[in-house]
Amino acid sequence: MDIPSSLAIVALAALIHASFQLSVSVLTLLSGHAIGARRSQAKVFRLAWGFILGVGVMTLLLLSFISLVLLHVFGNSGVPLIVWAIACGLVLGIGIAVWLFYYRKEKGTKLWIPRSFADHLSRRSKATKHSVEAFSLGMTSVIAELIFIIPSMIISALVLLQLPSMWQLIGIAVYVVISLVGLLVVSTLVGGGHSLSKIQKWREENKGFLQFAAGSALVVLGFFVYVHKIIAEVSGAI
Amino acid sequence: MHEGGTSHIIKRHDHGHHRSEQFDPDKMHKSIVAACLSCAVPHGHADSIAKRITEEVEEWLQNRPEVTSDDLRRTATHYLKTHHPDAAYLYEHHRSTL
Repeated sequence: MDIPSSLAIVALAALIHASFQLSVSVLTLLSGHAIGARRSQAKVFRLAWGFILGVGVMTLLLLSFISLVLLHVFGNSGVPLIVWAIACGLVLGIGIAVWLFYYRKEKGTKLWIPRSFADHLSRRSKATKHSVEAFSLGMTSVIAELIFIIPSMIISALVLLQLPSMWQLIGIAVYVVISLVGLLVVSTLVGGGHSLSKIQKWREENKGFLQFAAGSALVVLGFFVYVHKIIAEVSGAI
Repeated sequence: MHEGGTSHIIKRHDHGHHRSEQFDPDKMHKSIVAACLSCAVPHGHADSIAKRITEEVEEWLQNRPEVTSDDLRRTATHYLKTHHPDAAYLYEHHRSTL
């Protein structure tokens, strides 16, 4: 795979990551509690940025960790095609699961995550008063949505391993920045004085589309990597 | 409030357990103010809306010795809709965000 194709796959995987809504929901709750508690606009801004930084750092650590594990297991000899095939299968499977299960079929934007996780994040978003707490809440929210983002991260890690060292770092940076797009948009809107109810209404009205887009993008990603890597190499060998 | 005492709110908990507590107007006032502020309503206006809604809910609670927290939220939302529909939406759907 050449460098532009690899970076394009990483960018698509990061966009899929950004389309998942758990962190956006937690940021919406965090901002709502902070505004409702009459905290200053500067304080709300600091909390939001603490949260986004936490999400970014945890995403960076997870992607680096997965890449490191793959590097240790397979070394420089290259990742076997069977591993690529398993990763593509995982991406396709989670993509179909997202189509079917991502949002709960009730009013609001409740997600298919364990209720204990959701309750914990809800309680913590209400109790968060300092930027450091917001930072750790951001890190926790990435862990809570791991089941949805793990396929994008594995595919990105596999692709990044094939690049020269310098491009690996650039690829990780590209992934982290793009994966934060949703949070950056919400924090900009809140900082600009937009009503949280309008943001939440938009999310609820478009949740079907967001679910379909995330699931479809995962299916497309899995199919594309399967064809681009496995079919191409197998047919080349023949 | 119903004659002879304050209304009890039945709160639902995990695993089907229930507990009750007395209606707290301050708590309701605070949560309505929070919903209004989240909709960019100025502080003073948010306070006056919350005061009116709390009074209307207290009036509704007369002759109702026991209500559930869901009943209370629905009723407050109903009254809040006439004052500020966006805040009512946020107040009603607060628990279904995540």
